[in-house]
Amino acid sequence: MPALLELQRALGAAITDAGRTAAAAPLFRNAAHAVPARLAVYRGNVYGNRANALGGAYPVVRKIVGAEFFDATAREFARTHRSASADLNEYGERFAEFLAAFEHTRDLPYLPDVARMEWLAHRAYFAADAAPFDPARLAAVPPERWAGLRPLLAPACALLVSDWPLARVWTVHQDDYRGPLDVDLSAGPERILVHRPRWKAEVRAITAGDHRFLAAVQSGATLGDALAGALAEEAGFDAAAALARWVASGVVIDLADAEEAEEWAG
Amino acid sequence: MSAVPAPRPAQSRLGAGVGLRARHYRDFLESRPSAGWVEVHSENYFGEGGYDRHVLARVRADYPLSLHGVGLGLGSAAGLDDRHLAKLERLVRATEPVLVSEHLCWGAGLDGHLNDLLPLAYTTEALALLAGRVARVQERLGRRILVENLSTYLEFAASEMGEGEFIAELARRTGCGVLLDVNNLYVNQANQGTDALATMRAIPVDAVEEIHLAGHLVTEHCLIDTHGDRVADAVWRLYDAALERFGPVPTLIEWDTDIPELDVLLDEAARARARMEVRHARAA
Repeated sequence: MPALLELQRALGAAITDAGRTAAAAPLFRNAAHAVPARLAVYRGNVYGNRANALGGAYPVVRKIVGAEFFDATAREFARTHRSASADLNEYGERFAEFLAAFEHTRDLPYLPDVARMEWLAHRAYFAADAAPFDPARLAAVPPERWAGLRPLLAPACALLVSDWPLARVWTVHQDDYRGPLDVDLSAGPERILVHRPRWKAEVRAITAGDHRFLAAVQSGATLGDALAGALAEEAGFDAAAALARWVASGVVIDLADAEEAEEWAG
Repeated sequence: MSAVPAPRPAQSRLGAGVGLRARHYRDFLESRPSAGWVEVHSENYFGEGGYDRHVLARVRADYPLSLHGVGLGLGSAAGLDDRHLAKLERLVRATEPVLVSEHLCWGAGLDGHLNDLLPLAYTTEALALLAGRVARVQERLGRRILVENLSTYLEFAASEMGEGEFIAELARRTGCGVLLDVNNLYVNQANQGTDALATMRAIPVDAVEEIHLAGHLVTEHCLIDTHGDRVADAVWRLYDAALERFGPVPTLIEWDTDIPELDVLLDEAARARARMEVRHARAA
């Protein structure tokens, strides 16, 4: 008698590959003529569940290409991309790569970057909540040590650089957006920040200096180094204003004191 | 049938509940719908934070909560996903649910997850595997779990016993409870020719701690467990038989596709409650 693992492997193979239906039929008590349609129900569930998950993660791509085309595309992705997680909210990270190589969307060269942006927004939606910055934290540190503080970004924050105006694409495809729909695709490269002020992910275009600053912070730089980088990137970068802006908007949620941390460790 | 079993004290007052889905968040946040309790799919709240967790915490303050897993795949012979179990543990500790349940199924192979509730072969090998898995999950969560009977479209010829016998032995070996899905029993009766009443009779009276009711779809080839319609008349009749055998067990209305207004779910829950009360009054 085949072991359980072999039975499950055979059923799994017959679900994902219709060509294995006949070979699998003897494994079941059901009449052989009934097996193909029953396997098709499971096949529909497996790929349908994955395609639904993609629809939830990529609503802007879905709006751009239309629901019918998106669902067919999502099914094609589902058929060709295994799932690495039992949680379907983690399925579909490689959809941007898939779209980049998908012949039917070649006339939409910005679509893969829209998908990259949406995956970051999708992850942001589930990210840990962040308490707002507590100004008392800074007041407790002598000003001569501020440059050595390490700013901490809210867990939902993510950065992306694109050749396309992603923030505008995001804005005009939001359900509650009522303004003009024009998007200037020749607007040139753009740096964006994905963040989640409260519950809903937001996307905004940021300057080269801001991007350099936030990217440095994200990789663990001190406040002094991050600001120096931003100044080098963007002449006239106003460090104090930038910091105040990121703190007020909940992007920077803490300024960790390295010396204090060492004292704790000691 | 003779003595009606005494329901477990903690759950006997739950009555009829409904599944909490995003479509009805607003209803639950803005009013207090008359549901005895709510159940969610555990995986929808695996995020570390965010709106779903926020809503769940708010609703949890007003209603007893049940966590119902759809991804763990207790019977996956290729292995149990420890990362998934860790997330479930975190959610259980954060929300302190009154009930925690998983399905009697598998979902992961050696090369990834199929993300569906796939049928087991009811063999002694599978029983040993499931008993170990249930024990491991219960130990990790620090509590009993309920295991739900599955709706199936195919049944392995290798099965050595019926699903009811399998579940009964699993409960005996691990001390787990049973989530009896009455619609699944009906779907299997139609799809596999199994006897729903016989399956119920095989399950010990005191093991069933929750009942699921849902709608199914009748197709040319088989019944499909869509959770997308009202409970069918024949399923209500089976539910009466379940109440007769297992007592006034907390009952949930599940609805997952083409989800209607909350009032429709509450109406179905009221029908379940009325049937529980009739049964209870007769027993008293």
